[in-house]
Amino acid sequence: MSVTNKITVKRAEIAVAVILALCSIALMIKSAENRITWNAEENMGAGFLPFYLSLGMLICTVLTIIKFVLKRSPQSKDDSPFIEVEAFKYIAVTIISLIILVLAIGYLGIYFSLIFFLAFYLRYFSSKSVLFISVFSLITPVLTFLFFEWLLKIPLPQGISEPLFYPVYDFMYS
Amino acid sequence: MDVFILLLEGIFVSFEPLNLGLLVFGCLIGLFVGAMPGLGSVNGVAILIPITFIIPPTAAIIFLAAVYYGAMYGGAISSVMLGIPGASTAVATVFDGRPLAVKGEAMTALTAAAVGSFVGGTVSVILFTLFAPPLAEVALRFNAPETFALMVMAFATFVGLGGDDVPKTIFSILIGLALSTIGLDLITGKPRLIFFNIPGFLHGINFLVLAIGIYGIGEMLWTLEETKGKVQMSKLSVNMKEVGRAFGALKKTIMAMNIGSFLGFFVGILPAAGATPASLMSYGITKQLSKNSKEFGSGVPAGVVAPECANNSASTGSMLPMLTLGIPGSPTTAILLGGMILWGLTPGPLLFTQEPEFVWGLIGSLYIANFFTLVLNIALIPAFLMVLRIPFAILAPVIFVLCVTGGYAPTQSLHDVWLMLLFGFAGYILRKLDYPVAPAVLSIVLGPLAEKALRQSLILSDGSMGIFFDMAEKPIAAIIMYIAIVLLIMPAFGPLYRKFFKKAQTT
Repeated sequence: MSVTNKITVKRAEIAVAVILALCSIALMIKSAENRITWNAEENMGAGFLPFYLSLGMLICTVLTIIKFVLKRSPQSKDDSPFIEVEAFKYIAVTIISLIILVLAIGYLGIYFSLIFFLAFYLRYFSSKSVLFISVFSLITPVLTFLFFEWLLKIPLPQGISEPLFYPVYDFMYS
Repeated sequence: MDVFILLLEGIFVSFEPLNLGLLVFGCLIGLFVGAMPGLGSVNGVAILIPITFIIPPTAAIIFLAAVYYGAMYGGAISSVMLGIPGASTAVATVFDGRPLAVKGEAMTALTAAAVGSFVGGTVSVILFTLFAPPLAEVALRFNAPETFALMVMAFATFVGLGGDDVPKTIFSILIGLALSTIGLDLITGKPRLIFFNIPGFLHGINFLVLAIGIYGIGEMLWTLEETKGKVQMSKLSVNMKEVGRAFGALKKTIMAMNIGSFLGFFVGILPAAGATPASLMSYGITKQLSKNSKEFGSGVPAGVVAPECANNSASTGSMLPMLTLGIPGSPTTAILLGGMILWGLTPGPLLFTQEPEFVWGLIGSLYIANFFTLVLNIALIPAFLMVLRIPFAILAPVIFVLCVTGGYAPTQSLHDVWLMLLFGFAGYILRKLDYPVAPAVLSIVLGPLAEKALRQSLILSDGSMGIFFDMAEKPIAAIIMYIAIVLLIMPAFGPLYRKFFKKAQTT
């Protein structure tokens, strides 16, 4: 039995509810770093709203868990896989490649990171030719550059590749 | 008469070259966004909002409203040609649109959808023009307690009318509100919820980060799972000569047009309802009232017209509370409302007096957009069919690029891009487990406004919550609050009602 078959909707439902309950408790503790009381003299403490909103979230997750235990929610009776094997491949590769993309943006800069991201993604998932993938992976960052840096005047992160853009900026603003 | 003059001025504003250009461009993008399975108006508007920072607010709202509008038209294209709704708003269009296409009458279905959308859009924009000024005038008398009560009612609508699991819906509302409290406290200036002392949290969480995360990244992951990277379009013959025949078939759809247009508008006004339930309700009621109800589902033009009229009408209807009360009527208008704040405007009735060009420019543009979208929709059907053949494995990375750049652009911080990814992944998983995500987006937009209104109200009342329930002092706030309470407790009576109904049936 594969890992994806073991993760059923039922298991995912309870696992997510427990994680959300723990997050709600963490939020309550974090909110309590500020004053969480409210009275007419002092008005509302900075932590009052986040604390009680988190408490509300905790109550909702506890209700979800109770519904699960009592088998009152559709998910609590659903033993089908949370995600199919083939779809899992798409989702996992997409999530990992997006994380690597954002990590790379901080170091390589957005434009070079996009070239590698697009080339990898298209090569992995599409059946397009190397020529198509190369052209597509190069044109998209160029259009992104023109749109943001030239048209919108919003600089995007360039990391270690920044010096390579100096001549382009000289040309654009001369 | 005044309204007519203001409307004419608004139409002139939307004919200014920049506004008109953006309007046509917006309609085209909207049609494309709506036609692509997995993308809808909310995704399009969320992803595109960062590019409106360099244009004036009037041009920006005209552009985004045109995208919203176009997407409502475009949703029908993939519903008919692929049998996959372009967006949830076009689900009901599949019921009869797809059978028509399979019978070889794709053009009849597409024409019925386009004309239905045009009629629904036109009727609703006329209703909008008539209702907006008086509603804004009433709303001008609203103070902080009424504003807060209205926001509570908007949240309560999701619980009472949303139809989703109640604890999960309330959780979604509360998490959106909790996320909106991150950053500096409005009154004391103290930092709140600064996790691991990361400075990026000090400026709070921009609603766009959540919106792009959920509707960009999360939605793409969802669609990738559904389509496994491919979009398969059946081979269907599309003959332009059918257009004339299709128009002839529309004679029998007058009732569907009326139901869709009026029902759609009023359902669209409700925050939790919007275009999807409006189109489903409209389809259901038209089917019930039709003499040929048994033919519905096998491919009748009225079955396409009713939902398409309704979803366009609802999209306009959802802008009414956004403009007049500062309360969005749908997830897309929640993002538009957030956009208004980013552009330096204060959403609400004051817009009508302080920014008439903005308000009437938008209203005027809806009339024009309606016409352009109809023409573009019918003229470009062959082009959209080509676009639909693009596999998702190619479209998805492009959307991811737009999400990453769009998430970075507003604050120019990689911290926000990480948050956007986190919200995208979380949104995908939560959606798979039937947690509604729209209330969270609405809450993060309304959160700061609701907190401000609550605090101002409590200062007025010396800290007493009674101000929201005082029929003598604040009757409007009290009535709205009582309606909100009814909406909140309504789901509890659902099982009782069903039990009683069953018992009555058996006896």
